[in-house]
Amino acid sequence: MTENNTAYRKPQGFLRRNQGLWITLAVLILLPFVIGLFEGASPLQVWTNDSGISKFTQGLAIEIFILALYALSYDLIFGITGLLSFGHSMFFATGAYLTGILLKNFDLPVGITVLLVLAASAVNALLFGIVLPRVKGITFALVTLGLASVFHIVVMSGELKDYTGADVGLQGVVTPAFISPANERLRFYFIALTILILFYLLYKRFVSSPTGRVCIATRENEGRARMLGYNTFYFKLAALLLSSATAALAGTLHALYQPIVSPNVASLGFTVSALLIILIGGVGTLKGALIGAAVYRLLDFGLRRYVGESASFISGAIYIAIVLFVPYGIVGTWALKSPQIKQGWTRLVGMVKK
Amino acid sequence: MKVYFRKNLLLWVTLAVLTLLFIFAARGMATRDWVITLLRGLSVGSVTFLVASGFSLIFGLLDVLNLAHGTLFMIGAYIGWTVFIRPDTFVDLIPLLALLSSGFLLSELWAELGKRLPSGRWTRLLPWMSLLLAVGLLVLVLPGYPVTGWNLKVFSQTPGTFAFMADQGLLVLPVAKAFEHPPALVLCGMLLASLLAAFGFSAFKRNTIQAAGWVNWRQIAAFVIVLGVGFTVFFANDALTKFLTGINTSWLFLIAVLTATLSGVALGALMESTLIRPLYSRPIYQLMLTLGLSAIGIEVIRAIWGRPEFTMPKPALFGGTGEGCPATSLGAWLQHQCSTFLLMGGRVRVYNEIFIPLVGIVVLVVVWILLKRSRLGMIIRAGVQNREMVEALGINVRKAFTQVFALGVGLAALGGVLAAPSMGLSNTMGESLMINALIALAIGGLTSYPGAALGSVLVGLIQQVIIKYGAIGIPIPFTEIVFKPTPPLVPASTVLLMVIILLILPNGLLGRKE
Repeated sequence: MTENNTAYRKPQGFLRRNQGLWITLAVLILLPFVIGLFEGASPLQVWTNDSGISKFTQGLAIEIFILALYALSYDLIFGITGLLSFGHSMFFATGAYLTGILLKNFDLPVGITVLLVLAASAVNALLFGIVLPRVKGITFALVTLGLASVFHIVVMSGELKDYTGADVGLQGVVTPAFISPANERLRFYFIALTILILFYLLYKRFVSSPTGRVCIATRENEGRARMLGYNTFYFKLAALLLSSATAALAGTLHALYQPIVSPNVASLGFTVSALLIILIGGVGTLKGALIGAAVYRLLDFGLRRYVGESASFISGAIYIAIVLFVPYGIVGTWALKSPQIKQGWTRLVGMVKK
Repeated sequence: MKVYFRKNLLLWVTLAVLTLLFIFAARGMATRDWVITLLRGLSVGSVTFLVASGFSLIFGLLDVLNLAHGTLFMIGAYIGWTVFIRPDTFVDLIPLLALLSSGFLLSELWAELGKRLPSGRWTRLLPWMSLLLAVGLLVLVLPGYPVTGWNLKVFSQTPGTFAFMADQGLLVLPVAKAFEHPPALVLCGMLLASLLAAFGFSAFKRNTIQAAGWVNWRQIAAFVIVLGVGFTVFFANDALTKFLTGINTSWLFLIAVLTATLSGVALGALMESTLIRPLYSRPIYQLMLTLGLSAIGIEVIRAIWGRPEFTMPKPALFGGTGEGCPATSLGAWLQHQCSTFLLMGGRVRVYNEIFIPLVGIVVLVVVWILLKRSRLGMIIRAGVQNREMVEALGINVRKAFTQVFALGVGLAALGGVLAAPSMGLSNTMGESLMINALIALAIGGLTSYPGAALGSVLVGLIQQVIIKYGAIGIPIPFTEIVFKPTPPLVPASTVLLMVIILLILPNGLLGRKE
C-alpha cells in the first residue's frame, strides 16, 4: 500500500535502497559475538560454540527467523494477494513433518529431502488452487480451514503413530552433524539468517515484478484486474506456490532445529499466530512480517518467563492495545505517522538545545 | 414453482443425498437406537445453533467475525453456574455491579457538564484527574466490600467441591463475611468512583458528543432504578439469599438462565460500543481484537473459577431418580420429574435430549419472529442486504449494530448456561463449540438465519451418528470387515462435509446467491 506510492522517491542503487536491511543484517551477524562478550567469552569461543548465553540467544533468534519466514509467506498470500486463508499452518506442517519422516524413517540426505519437501509444497498449493476458482472471500478461508483441519486430524491420528508420533509429536529427527543445533548452532544460525534474507529479497523482487503487481491489483479490485485482461487465477496460484514453498522450507528448518515437531504446528492456532504476526507488523508490508515475528516471539518468551501462568492474559491485552493504538501495524503506522514523529523529535531536540 | 426448482436444483440434490445417507445410516441399527441418536444429534445441534445463530447475525449485519463468541458462550455457562450453585455470591455481587455501573447511565448529564466547562489547560487534564481519582477510590473501597465466594486454594472450598455437594444435595453455603468498615462509607465510595469514572470517560470526547440538554428523564429514571435495586438488594441480602436457597431448583435454574443471558447482552453491548466500533473501517483487525478478547476471557475465567473442570447439577424438574423412574408416560414423568424417560425401551435423558432441543426450537421461532416482524428485524434484514442504503434512509444503524451484537452475545450466553448441566464446565468448552458453529454456519450459509439452524442440526446429527457407529461398527459390503470410526473421525466428518458442500454450493445450503 504505502510502498507503491513511495517507490519512485527511494534512493537509487541496490545497496542504498536497502540501507535498513544491511544495517539489520550487520547487527544480526555481530549479535552472537556481542552477546558472548557479556559472558566474557571471546569471539573465538563463540565461534566454537562455547558460550552459553550466546548459544541461547542464537536459539531464540533462529526461532524468530523460522517464524519470520513463515509469516513472510503468509503475508504474500494474505497481505499482497488478498487471499484470507485459515489453512496456512498446513504448508508449514507439511514441510516439518515430511522432513522429519524422510530423515528419520528413510535416512535420506538433506538435499533430496528438501527437494521432496518442495515437491510436496507444490502439491499443497495446487490443492488450494483447485478450490480457488470455486470459493471466494470468507468461504475460501473456511474451506482452507477445513483442509488444514483434516491434515491436523490425520497427523494426530493413532494409525500413523509410527511416522508422525500422533499427539506426542514427531521425535528423534536425526539432524546431520554439520548443522546439528546442539553442536554447530552458530552455523545453523547463519544458514537460517541467510535463507531468511534471501527469501526477503526474493519476495521484494516478486512484489515489484509485473507478476507481483498483478497480485496487488487482485487484492485491491479483482474485477478490474480481470477486466484488464489478466487471468487472476494464475497469479493467485503463483503466489500460493511461492508461499507454500517458503512455508514448507520454514517447516524444514523447524524440524531440523527443534527436538520435537509438535502437532500444534498443524493446528488453526499456528495459522492464527502467522496472522497475528503480520497484523502486529503491518499487513502487506514484507518488513512487517520480520518485525512482527520478532515482537511476537520475544513478547511470548518474555511473558512466559517473567509472568508465568497468566501470560496469555497480558498478551491478549497487548494485542488489543496494538489494535487500538498502532492501527496499521508497526510498519504501516510508522509510514503513516513518521512525518509527525520526526517533527515531534526535532521539536524535542530544539527544546533540549535551548 | 418449476423455475424455483430448476434454480435450486443443486440444493435439492444435496439435501436429497444427505437424506439418503441418513436413511442408509438408519438401516444399520435398531429403530430405538436410531431415534435416540437422532435426539442426541438434535441436542448437540441446538447448542451449536444458539452459538451459530448469534455469530451469523453479527457477521451478517456487522461483518464482524467475532472469534470471541466461544469464550462468551463459556462465560455464560460460568455465570449461570454461579447463580445456580452459589446464590449468596450472586446476591453479594448485585449491589456491587449496580453501584459501579450506575454512573455510566447518566451519559447526557456528563456530556452537557463537559460542554459547559471552560476550556483551558486544566480542563484538558480534568478527565485524567477524575479517572485517576476514581481508580484510587476503587482501590481503597473495593477490598472493603466482602463477597462470599469460593477459594481456589482450599480444596473443600473449590467450585468443584461446591458443585459436587450441590449434586448430592449436601450443599452448605459458607458464612457470609462481615464488613470491616462502615458499609455506608464503602457504598458511597463506590458510587462516587462510578460517577467520577463516567464523567472522566465522557469528558475525553466532550467536543464530539451532542447533548440534548441537562436533564434526560429517562436516564435519570434508569439511574434511580439501578441505584434502588442495588440498595434494596444490599439491605435485603440475607433474606434474599435465604429465599433463593429455599426455592425449588427449577426456579433457580430459570433465574440463572435469565441472569446469564442478560449478562451476555450487557457484555455484548459493552464490547461493541467500546472496542468493536472503532474498527469497522479495519475489518481484519477485528480478528486480532476478538482473539485478544478471547484470550483475556479465558484467563479471567481461569483466575476466578480455576482450571479444573466441574459439573453443574440438573434442576429439580429433570433430576428425579427415585421411585417410578425412568418414566414411561408423560403423566408419570410430570408426577416423578424423572431424569430419564423410557422411549421404545431405551433410556432418554430428559434434560439433554428433550429439553435442550425444545429450547432450541423456541429460540429459533422467537428470533425468527423478531427478524421478520419487528422494526429491529427489518433494519437488520435491510442492513444485511445493503448497509449504506439503510444509513442513507436516516436510520440509526449504529444503534441497531449494538443491539444485534448484544442479541448475538446473549444467545451465546444462553447456549452456555443451557449446555452447562449436560456438558459440564471447563476452560476449553468454548473452543470446540466455536469450531462446530463455524462449520455449521459454513454448511448452512454464513449470513442466513435458517441456514444456521439447518447447518447446526446437520453437524449435530452427523457427529452423533458417527459416534454411534463407532460403538457398533459399520459392516463393509462384500467383506467380513467391520469398520469402526475412531474418535478423530467425528470432527473430520463434519469438516469434510463442509468442504464438499462449499465446493458444490459456495454460499452454503441456504446462503444468499451473489
